[in-house]
Amino acid sequence: MSTPVYVAGIGSTAFARQPERSLLDLAAEAGRRALADAGLAPSEIGLGAFANALAGKLFGDLTVGQNAFAALGMARLPVVNVENACTSGSTAFYLACLAVRAGEVECAMVIGAEKMCVPQLGLLSSGDSELDTLLGLVTPASFAMRARRHMAEFGTTAAQLAQVSVKNRRHGMLNPLAQFRTEVTVEEVLASPMIADPLTRLQSCPMADGAAALIVCSASMAKRLGARVVVRAATLSTGNYDNPQDMVRWRTDREGAYQAYEQAGIGPEDLDVVECHDAFSIAEILHYEALGLCAPGEGGRLVAAGATALGGRVPVNVSGGLLSRGHPVGATGVEQIVELTRQLRGTAGARQVPGARLGLAHCMGGDRAADTKSMTVAVLAA
Amino acid sequence: MSATARDEALELVPGLVERVDASGRYGLVGSLCPDCGASAFPRAGCCPQCQGTPQRRVVGTAGSLYTYTVVRTRAPFGLPEPYAVGYVDLDESGLRVFGLIDPAAVDALAVGQRMEVGLDRLGVDGGGRPCLRPVFRPERMAADTGVGR
Ligand SMILES: [Zn+2]
Repeated sequence: MSTPVYVAGIGSTAFARQPERSLLDLAAEAGRRALADAGLAPSEIGLGAFANALAGKLFGDLTVGQNAFAALGMARLPVVNVENACTSGSTAFYLACLAVRAGEVECAMVIGAEKMCVPQLGLLSSGDSELDTLLGLVTPASFAMRARRHMAEFGTTAAQLAQVSVKNRRHGMLNPLAQFRTEVTVEEVLASPMIADPLTRLQSCPMADGAAALIVCSASMAKRLGARVVVRAATLSTGNYDNPQDMVRWRTDREGAYQAYEQAGIGPEDLDVVECHDAFSIAEILHYEALGLCAPGEGGRLVAAGATALGGRVPVNVSGGLLSRGHPVGATGVEQIVELTRQLRGTAGARQVPGARLGLAHCMGGDRAADTKSMTVAVLAA
Repeated sequence: MSATARDEALELVPGLVERVDASGRYGLVGSLCPDCGASAFPRAGCCPQCQGTPQRRVVGTAGSLYTYTVVRTRAPFGLPEPYAVGYVDLDESGLRVFGLIDPAAVDALAVGQRMEVGLDRLGVDGGGRPCLRPVFRPERMAADTGVGR
């Protein structure tokens, strides 16, 4: 990036079913923690970006961000509300980076929050009025079809798919903020109820309530605060919707990843740690391939060989990923970058990747014409 | 299902399919842009490639199953449990189209198999009324396509 942007502060709530807590309450806790972590007063923040995907649908609430920042004592702050499906949080991060990089503000604060463990949630789809939805396309089906095709083309096995869940749940045991902190075996993953063949329940990320926040700042402010983690790339891309769409060599995913590598001046071989959008087991395998961590078609064998586990060649989702944390939609994209920051600061505790210097966070959201609607990548360095 | 029973329910989204012969074969109605040659399903009002005005066109009556899944969660829109969906590569236009699969075929699906377009009473509309949805079903052998089905 031409003008450097730094991560000044991070904060998260637990990711769990939290029926007693409101969206605002969760958002404010994460924000308060990020301010304390950065050592900044609310008056020093120049812009607020608030990410949430479902409050409009579930509660009829709009412009929640202004409420969240007001609760933190930032009533006059310019605030933008961001909805970009699962990439809402990382899109808010992207916008915050743009604002700092442009020199418009010294620092910007991102809060991603979601409260979704409520009875009215129903089935998540790409949009209630879209034709695919009316014809039965629910979110798990979309990834199940990718999995089926991956198995047919590349010989990926059900056991290899299950290995993604086994690995991420093992990582999640080391993350105090994760919802699921118990080990599962390949047999248990495969024996759990079938959601959409070949994906079982333990290969689908659970819902959660939670929030995450981070503050990005200029080089001069970073120097004053002693912030060392720098943003080497922050990209946002959109699907091409070409037809036919190759559902196992995901062009949008690939191009988005390589756009970020180019911006950061790195390649996949340079990465020490990766957080990616493992909403379903097959998603992580597809993202390995798109990110260039292995050759196309080799993702199932990569995870089975242990290369992406803590201690492996390129650890992926050492936080436990969405599969262990749960997926509070608006918070996920922020939490991934928060986790990278912990790793690059060397403060990730039992799940620390030793000596991690360079990390990547990858997120995807929305579904349209067998493509994703939105994709973000962030590359951070210590 | 007899033709009479089919006709009692209304199409969920009118105009997605049209009958192409008397044996119950249907075609998916999409569009072709005369300016840039882009095909689309469903029909595009304005060409996203060149902003031209596409013409109505049957973009496919049959093809091969690119991928599929059987959904075993609670079914939306009164669809059967389980129900199957998939993407079919249409012979005529090369479009890869998403759709429901005939529930009778749920246990006998394979990537690459031949499929044809149909229209069946499947699930309900927004008002809870039974309705017709386009489906892909395993292609009938030539001998099966005669009158009387
Ligand atoms: Zn055109």
